[in-house]
Amino acid sequence: MNSERKIRVLVAKPGLDGHDRGARVVAYGLRDAGFEVIYTGLRQTPEQIATAAVQEDVDVIGLSVLSGAHLALTRKVIEQLRQQGAADIPILVGGLIPESDKPALKEMGVAGVFTAGTPISSIAAFIRSHVASM
Amino acid sequence: MTMAARTWNDLVGGVRRGEPRPLARLISQVEDRVPGWEQAMKALYPHSGGAQVIGITGPPGAGKSSLTNRITASLVARGHRVGIIAVDPTSPFSGGALLGDRLRMRDVATTPGVFIRSMATRGTLGGLCQSARDVARILTAAGHDIVLIETVGVGHDEIEVVKAAGCVAVVCVPGQGDAVQTLKAGIMEIADVFVVNKVDRDGADAVITDIRAMLALAADKRNETVPVIATCALTGQGIEPLVEALIAPAARAAEVMARHEARVREEILTLVEREIARVVRERWGTNAELDSTVERVCSGELDPYSAAQSVLRSINLKD
Amino acid sequence: MKSQDDLERIACAEEQWKHDVLEPRVKRFQLEKSPTRFYTPTAARDFDFLEKVGFPGQYPFTAGNNPFDFWRAYAEAGAKMGVRPEYGGSGAAGRYSGYGTAEDYRDYLLRMQSLGSRGGPNVAFDLVTQCGYDSDSPFAAGEVGRVGVAVDSFRDFQVIYEAFTGDRDIDRVPSNFTINAPAAVIIAMYAALAEKRGIAPAQLRGTPQNDILKEFIARGTYIYPPRPSMRLFRDTLVFCRKHLPKLNVTSIGGYHIREAGATRVQDLAFSFANGVAYLQAGVDAGLDIDDFAPMFTFNAFGGSMEIYHEIAFQRAARRMWARILRERFGAKDARSMMIRQPITAHIGCTSTTLQRPLNNLARAVVGGIASGMCGGLPAVYPPFDEPLGLGHSLESIQLQMDATRILIFEAKVADVVDPWAGSYFMESLTDETEAAAQAELDKIEAMGGAVAAIENGYMPRAVAKSAYERQRRIENQEDFMVGVNCFMGDNELEVSAQRMVDELYDAAHMATAEERQLAKLAQLRRERNGKAVADGLAALEAHAKDEAVNLMPDLIECVKSGATLQEICDVLRGVFGEAEPVKL
Repeated sequence: MNSERKIRVLVAKPGLDGHDRGARVVAYGLRDAGFEVIYTGLRQTPEQIATAAVQEDVDVIGLSVLSGAHLALTRKVIEQLRQQGAADIPILVGGLIPESDKPALKEMGVAGVFTAGTPISSIAAFIRSHVASM
Repeated sequence: MTMAARTWNDLVGGVRRGEPRPLARLISQVEDRVPGWEQAMKALYPHSGGAQVIGITGPPGAGKSSLTNRITASLVARGHRVGIIAVDPTSPFSGGALLGDRLRMRDVATTPGVFIRSMATRGTLGGLCQSARDVARILTAAGHDIVLIETVGVGHDEIEVVKAAGCVAVVCVPGQGDAVQTLKAGIMEIADVFVVNKVDRDGADAVITDIRAMLALAADKRNETVPVIATCALTGQGIEPLVEALIAPAARAAEVMARHEARVREEILTLVEREIARVVRERWGTNAELDSTVERVCSGELDPYSAAQSVLRSINLKD
Repeated sequence: MKSQDDLERIACAEEQWKHDVLEPRVKRFQLEKSPTRFYTPTAARDFDFLEKVGFPGQYPFTAGNNPFDFWRAYAEAGAKMGVRPEYGGSGAAGRYSGYGTAEDYRDYLLRMQSLGSRGGPNVAFDLVTQCGYDSDSPFAAGEVGRVGVAVDSFRDFQVIYEAFTGDRDIDRVPSNFTINAPAAVIIAMYAALAEKRGIAPAQLRGTPQNDILKEFIARGTYIYPPRPSMRLFRDTLVFCRKHLPKLNVTSIGGYHIREAGATRVQDLAFSFANGVAYLQAGVDAGLDIDDFAPMFTFNAFGGSMEIYHEIAFQRAARRMWARILRERFGAKDARSMMIRQPITAHIGCTSTTLQRPLNNLARAVVGGIASGMCGGLPAVYPPFDEPLGLGHSLESIQLQMDATRILIFEAKVADVVDPWAGSYFMESLTDETEAAAQAELDKIEAMGGAVAAIENGYMPRAVAKSAYERQRRIENQEDFMVGVNCFMGDNELEVSAQRMVDELYDAAHMATAEERQLAKLAQLRRERNGKAVADGLAALEAHAKDEAVNLMPDLIECVKSGATLQEICDVLRGVFGEAEPVKL
């Protein structure tokens, strides 16, 4: 890997949930871990998320949802990625995700679920190892 | 074929066909200087002259991203295909960056014919300017006929970036103390259009007056024709006249040619400089010479100037 | 108050003590400095009891709004009767709730009434409603009826209130609405409902949250930019004072601001910056301060585990607000100067952990003790399973209530009002908190006030930075969270709890809410008078363009005509524009 190569991460909040503390903290944290973070903020439609992921050529997409709509919204994002020929971009989901919903997310193809208390260093390490193995 | 397995030829082909994923991937690989990038740029260069490149610069808080959003929407309505390069600073501590300009461009974020790419300055010598030029060419080769480059707005780099653009818009806002003083030296000289944004705020008229006064005072006759346009990105006020001013053909063809030549000269020099720097760093990165040289300078045995000269004598730039 | 001589003697003695006792001990343990502090009268040199504390129920209200709250008056009687108080007590709004369609929510409310609930509705709206969209908007996908009830029209609103008739009609029970950006529309629906039922609007009670400024800073359900949002606030304020005088105008809060990551000082300063902006809106509209300030409430401030600091915070907050009202705004009525809030100190939901969740009960008890000691119900909050994202189980609610009862009746925490008054430590901490918050508030006022500090991104970015700072301190073990960044590993037991989930919200309802709501929207559009809708919206648009016009009458006409929430909000979007997201 070229020494100039940077890992690019998309951090997005799909749906109408406005609680962006977690997304912001992760964005700052991944920046401080040396990644280039494309932070798209609140109220991202699945189409906007997929388009951004494609145009920005991100290595991973991070979704943050605290409204309980994570299953529906993740599903829609995956569908949009498929339509745009980008289903291979790994997705991480964070926020208020009940333990019981994690298997469903994994089954959809989500690469990792990171809930409250996860150190950002773990997320960064996970992303690095994921990118290295691709 | 997965993205990982694509060759440069595949990517170049995809760019020429205007496909977003190959376009995005090629941009990354050129920005990362993945081996083979020069060949790709050579292949795309013949197709990369057709776009107007417009730079949008100004201090933080001026509303550059919101303006870019509005300008793009107007350009699309006029039938253009627009590429946008939005630049944010790389953290000198971590090497990472928070790229958040896209957030303000919702109206055009999924519009067909619009491609938005966020870029970090990545802090290398002349690096940003060159990357912006490369990416502008790639976007042009992909079929965009206008490329907007939105800069960071602090530090030295954004003036550099603006050298990649044929037309430069400088954005000011009222309420930033003396708005004209906050414009760095050099900006007044390169601006083709001045924009006073957030014109609904108090003090907007004063800013417009100040800029016009500065333009009148400056010796350059060119300044007489520099438009000063008031806008409000929130409501759309002033956007159409601004777009007209940005895409209008330059008044004097000779001057355009001279500026173009100057940019080409500067680009060649920058490419050479950057390559030299890269070779030196790579060479010194693969052996312990730098470490022993540093030790010798620290112990007083050698001075930094002699150290540099000995490196220059021993460089072999042949690939 | 000690005399100058006494203070000097104490200061000397303190120096001697440091030399003889403290420093040797610090040295013995090879520390850089002592991990504890001890306060003497020198810490509160200029403490003037009457000026800084006074008496509960009198300016500056440091000790509390009254010598005892109504719940304390009836506490023993309530214990003997086994009363199960919902927050706020009987006759007030009931438990915060809402989900699904209006029909689902109405049926839930009726069920609660059959179980003994007597309060009015404390309505949670879904995000679609909170953001001014209809259930058929592309933005609504996956969100309809999820975090609250879906209200697309006046029809939906009326269906909810089918649960409140007879001796529970809206002239008897108050309603709380957690609604901000489209608060004016919901208030319009409330007024229209009264009209429809032949009830005088002057009888309506309750509290709309109506605190739009904090949305830009912390909660994210905004629609219009700050300035037109303040225009709408003014319209609700003026209209309510005139026509719905018993309705609280707003419920301001630092709660969300702190939960979003703000520091304690930022919480206080930003809340008051917002509060000042709202007060100024009333003054600018020509109202007398004492005519409307008593109808301002506070939702809650934020909280943390640092018990002493949260007590100091509440004391400082009360004193600061009273001073602002009296000295800056010239209020004369004591009720203008008081902070009316349902709870005082607490730990904040972000202090709870997903790991070993039963620990959250221990944590919440700390908050209860803090609140009992600073002029409030010793409320233990939140229930221990809050962070699990599954709703509150019956066990967690039972334990929460019992913990509160234990603090009231067994520990008797609230039997002394402001027990810390006069403590050298607490008085100096209160002063420090107030001074720091005032400095930050002055900074914001110098920028031009809350609206300016939102437009230039100052407040939202400050909160984001504080949130990140906190995360870094936790990851670096500069701050400790038990079970999260310390005391984990093989020797620790990951204690889990049996939960019986409170099946109050029917999952099947939530799954089909969206499609049922779409059917209702279609039916509404078929049945309503299209011309009346169009006329109403046109009048709204015309008046919206004139800043001087109060839009409430137009909004009432629009909701009565059957215009949907989004149709109304879209007209205003056209005139006001949409708020821009804040860049990090």
